[in-house]
Amino acid sequence: MNTRDCDLTRAASDMLALIEKKPHPGEIKPEITESMIEISTGVHARHDTLLAELLEIRAIVVAASDRLNVRVAGGGAHPFQHWSDRRIFDKPRFKHVSQLYGYLAKQFTVFGQHIHVGCADGDDALYLLHAFSRYLPQFIALSASSPFYQGVDTAFDSSRLNAVFAFPLSGRAPFALKWSEFTAYVERMSVSGIVESMKDFYWDVRPKPEFGTIEVRVCDTPLTVERAAALAAYAQAICRWLLVERPDRISEDNYLAYTYNRFQACRFGLEGEVIDPIAGVRRTIAEDVAATLQAVSVHARELDCEAPLQLLGRIARDGNDARWMREAFADGGSLADLVWQQGERFRGAG
Amino acid sequence: MPFAAEALPWYALLLLVAAIAGELVLRWLHLPRLFGWIATGVLMGPQVGGVLTERMLFEMRGVLDVAIGVVLFQLGQRVDLGWLRRNPSLLATSVLESSLAFAAMFAVLLLIGVPSLLAALAAAIGIATGPAVVLSLTRELRAQGQVTERMLLLTSLNCVYAFVVVNILLAWLHQEYSNDWASIFGHPLYLIFGSLLLALVFALATLVLLTLLGRRAEAQFIAVVALVVTAVYTASALKLSIVLVLLGYGVIARAFDTRRRFASLSFGSIGQILLVLLFAITAATLDLDLVPGGAAAGAVLVAARYAGKTVGVFALAPASGLSMRKASLVSLTLMPMSGVALILVHDMSALFPGLGSTLASVVVSAIVMLELLGPAAAYFALVRSGETDQTGS
Repeated sequence: MNTRDCDLTRAASDMLALIEKKPHPGEIKPEITESMIEISTGVHARHDTLLAELLEIRAIVVAASDRLNVRVAGGGAHPFQHWSDRRIFDKPRFKHVSQLYGYLAKQFTVFGQHIHVGCADGDDALYLLHAFSRYLPQFIALSASSPFYQGVDTAFDSSRLNAVFAFPLSGRAPFALKWSEFTAYVERMSVSGIVESMKDFYWDVRPKPEFGTIEVRVCDTPLTVERAAALAAYAQAICRWLLVERPDRISEDNYLAYTYNRFQACRFGLEGEVIDPIAGVRRTIAEDVAATLQAVSVHARELDCEAPLQLLGRIARDGNDARWMREAFADGGSLADLVWQQGERFRGAG
Repeated sequence: MPFAAEALPWYALLLLVAAIAGELVLRWLHLPRLFGWIATGVLMGPQVGGVLTERMLFEMRGVLDVAIGVVLFQLGQRVDLGWLRRNPSLLATSVLESSLAFAAMFAVLLLIGVPSLLAALAAAIGIATGPAVVLSLTRELRAQGQVTERMLLLTSLNCVYAFVVVNILLAWLHQEYSNDWASIFGHPLYLIFGSLLLALVFALATLVLLTLLGRRAEAQFIAVVALVVTAVYTASALKLSIVLVLLGYGVIARAFDTRRRFASLSFGSIGQILLVLLFAITAATLDLDLVPGGAAAGAVLVAARYAGKTVGVFALAPASGLSMRKASLVSLTLMPMSGVALILVHDMSALFPGLGSTLASVVVSAIVMLELLGPAAAYFALVRSGETDQTGS
């Protein structure tokens, strides 16, 4: 954002040019518009090393932004930017996407956190992908930080996901538990000309065979790197629990309440209601988080990530970033002021 | 400064013609509207079309001051003093480009035989980049990015330097006329600190007022326009500097605006009307008669100025985090030179009628040349930087 009225600005290529000059951990890359950058960390088995790397990357990004007089913030969407003002980053793939999707591509100036979890093989990945979908509403609600969009309060905690749902190949992966079945599906889609590669599927969770991971894509970018690291630790703990104990039997029935639950999480955040049609359970997402934290506690101890999970437990009780943003807006009175405070929180100062 | 009612139809005519010319320039030549406004001023001015007479232009001076005031206030609002702290190389860049431009122009003028004090004065006037041009281009092209931001920052700073140096030199000149030490040292000090104090008072008053009015954009807008106009008249009544008061007002108001109350404020269509008038009237005021006599010296002056600014920007580009390509674009954006320089020349001729004319012919020639060359260079640079709407998809 610029420092004047906190609207999105064009700074990605200048920032990246500045950052590339020095060695740094992880990867810092351009995204589709000149107003966004993508940050990725290396592979981590532990929460504390992940957080350390994120803090180091943040320091580099903040230093570069200071020199260029721009600000960087988390959040699933910029509260008041206008999509028609956005410039597409000068790179062939981005230009192609922009031509194909028109205004959707610019409206897609939304910011998400992707969490990759490594799997031993393709069948494990598919089991995990479908078993994990039951817990996606928790991740949506815990990370939700896009209550404002295009200058208005959307009433949603995560309005960002609504922008994602507009894409034709968004949603959930087809139900397949054998890796061979799954590749056959992708093959059929590609032969019929619907997609070129896996990159064209915008699913909530998708396998990433190049990395040997499943990729959880529903989270809004949290306002702080600490929260981002905690969400990754939570995903890791749940996956370990699912793979080791196999607590859920997986079938197409898992998806009966999928879109309902996802809508509840986007709209109402932690106060939303999830229905588990197989277990016959119906409760708020905050209660669901508490129950899952309980269930994975042994694995959290194994992975040495109890502290970040406690942080998530507190968020489930006290409110997510979306709630903080609504309160900060009510207090400061302007969206520009809110964005400024988001920038302060990203720096670790707010 | 009388705002004569009988002049109103002429304002309307000027605005109408300039507005049409601006649109034509945009549609047919795909250039920014300000070229149309400038052309309108020149063509309707006393020396070409004669639609506007010297007398009318003199009466329009009040509006001109307000227009310049609004431009400077807006420019000040875009300047973030914190940036200079976070990237000190920028402050160094600004001092360096201004000093080198000054030195280059001073040397050239000395070489062609201008007396040293006059040469220094002309060189000091040349330090300033035209604030109206850079602001107008930024707005019209909706430019944002490093080239744009640095252009705006360096412009505000070099306008201040130009003002301060000119006044120090004027005090020096005083000394040749009289030996009244109080006026030699007192006057520049009064100008600089008086102006800053007035800027501070207006900035604080504005912030208090905005707090009382709440975040309603219209109420804020009317109040701020009124305060800016008041600041212009107060500055001129107290014989303070419009440049320093209004620029300072904008900068200080922003610096103290910790709750970002100004965020939604823009001068919108009123700002646009004032810009049209500013460009057209300035262009009409240009003394084209002086150009033949001063053309050669003016051209060399333009080249020296550009060289000085370019070397200054390039020297510290790596340290301030700017690529060489963008440095070359930033130096181009610093070429425009207009409104403020004219005011300074005007003020000087008012103070020292004898000396104003010699100096004026060279400086005015340079201003006339840069009147089109400057905006064209800045426009080219902004488009090439990819920071405008036209280069986007």
